[in-house]
Amino acid sequence: MSLTATETPAVDLAILAIYDDAQIEGEPDFVVELIDLYLNEVPRLFDTIRKAVFNKDRSTAKRAAHSLRGSSGNLGVLQMATIAGELEHLENDYSTVAPELLRSLENEFERVKEILNAERQRRSA
Amino acid sequence: MRILIAEDDPISCRILTNNLTKWGHEVVVTRNGNDAWRALCARDAPSLAILDRVMPDVDGIEICRHLREADSPVHVILLTSLNRREDLLEGLEAGADDYLTKPLDAHELRARLQAAQRILELQESLRQRVRELEQAIEERKAAEEALRNLSLTDQLTGLYNYRGFINLAEHHLKIARREMHPSLLIYADMDGLKEINDTLGHRAGSTAIAAAGQILRNTFRDCDIIGRLGGDEFAVLVPSIKEPESAKVIERLRHNVSEYNEMSGHKFIIALSIGAVEIDHEHAWGIEDQMARADEVMYREKREKKGHEKAQEAQKRPA
Repeated sequence: MSLTATETPAVDLAILAIYDDAQIEGEPDFVVELIDLYLNEVPRLFDTIRKAVFNKDRSTAKRAAHSLRGSSGNLGVLQMATIAGELEHLENDYSTVAPELLRSLENEFERVKEILNAERQRRSA
Repeated sequence: MRILIAEDDPISCRILTNNLTKWGHEVVVTRNGNDAWRALCARDAPSLAILDRVMPDVDGIEICRHLREADSPVHVILLTSLNRREDLLEGLEAGADDYLTKPLDAHELRARLQAAQRILELQESLRQRVRELEQAIEERKAAEEALRNLSLTDQLTGLYNYRGFINLAEHHLKIARREMHPSLLIYADMDGLKEINDTLGHRAGSTAIAAAGQILRNTFRDCDIIGRLGGDEFAVLVPSIKEPESAKVIERLRHNVSEYNEMSGHKFIIALSIGAVEIDHEHAWGIEDQMARADEVMYREKREKKGHEKAQEAQKRPA
């Protein structure tokens, strides 16, 4: 299991800060917009993965995990990106390991939400 | 630039859009392959497309392939995940112009777009140049056509063309009327040119026409007016002549044709249907009317030949 990889931060805020470069003047804070998109997107992807794993629909689960990895990587949510990558490329013991990875993702997301919400408030203030 | 994005992932899509907008580009956002394809087929399609490799319906590589099959000039940048070398090669083979790996690096994206813009501008100036050249060729062709219409001689045989023949013959007939000289108008039509073209090719056909022209030239005098009216039709106006010389001239023509066929060594033979009419000076006007008369006489000969051939074939056929 990958939860031992504690040296990877949950969210690398430096990566998020890169998107300040894409801020268009006069528009709402772009990073806040991205955080909102992410916080909306992740539960939707969890839902898709959960149903797909339950229905043994591996290709759908793989695709959703791929999206989750991409979005997480984009926003510097590194730990989740790593776990999503494991799920995306999971081959052996699928029916036991996949639900465990999903649970790790959900736990990790609780931590990530706190950090992202804090960042959101800092920026909105 | 107008840039199309095809990206199903909302976050990637948003990041791309914001960057491109900030750099002053006009962005057309699509979230799946089908919408992207429709937008790229539209009349005012963007000149550059950034396509995600992986999309749920039609993926970026497939769109690329369709675009190239349709000869589209759209510049395509493919987005692939890092470490997916095989995707990348497949994409370039499908006709992508460039690629970027995700997660996107904004500086790299910007540099690639600048390169793309240079290429697109170069292509556009090339297309513009081709358009100009095509127009110049069109104008040149029209000028040549106009010149041809003005010319009086036939290129293939060097004889007068229709225009040249009519002008000169008309003028001659006026002189003949004034000086009270009779003339002879001969209409000669090649037999079997179509068969020569069909069986030996058009080059042989042209050789046959040129040969017929040469026979006419050898048969008549310098002061006679010889023209190729078009296709396989020739005409000759012989001034100041009357029977029995007229009959002799025709006889000489037929003789020269058969002599040519014996000597030529060609796979084809030259055969002429000939119609001749005498024009006495009192009726020496209206060259076109006179030609219609000669044409009619010629056709009578042609019909008779055909009838004769058919009769021969019927005889050959076993009972």
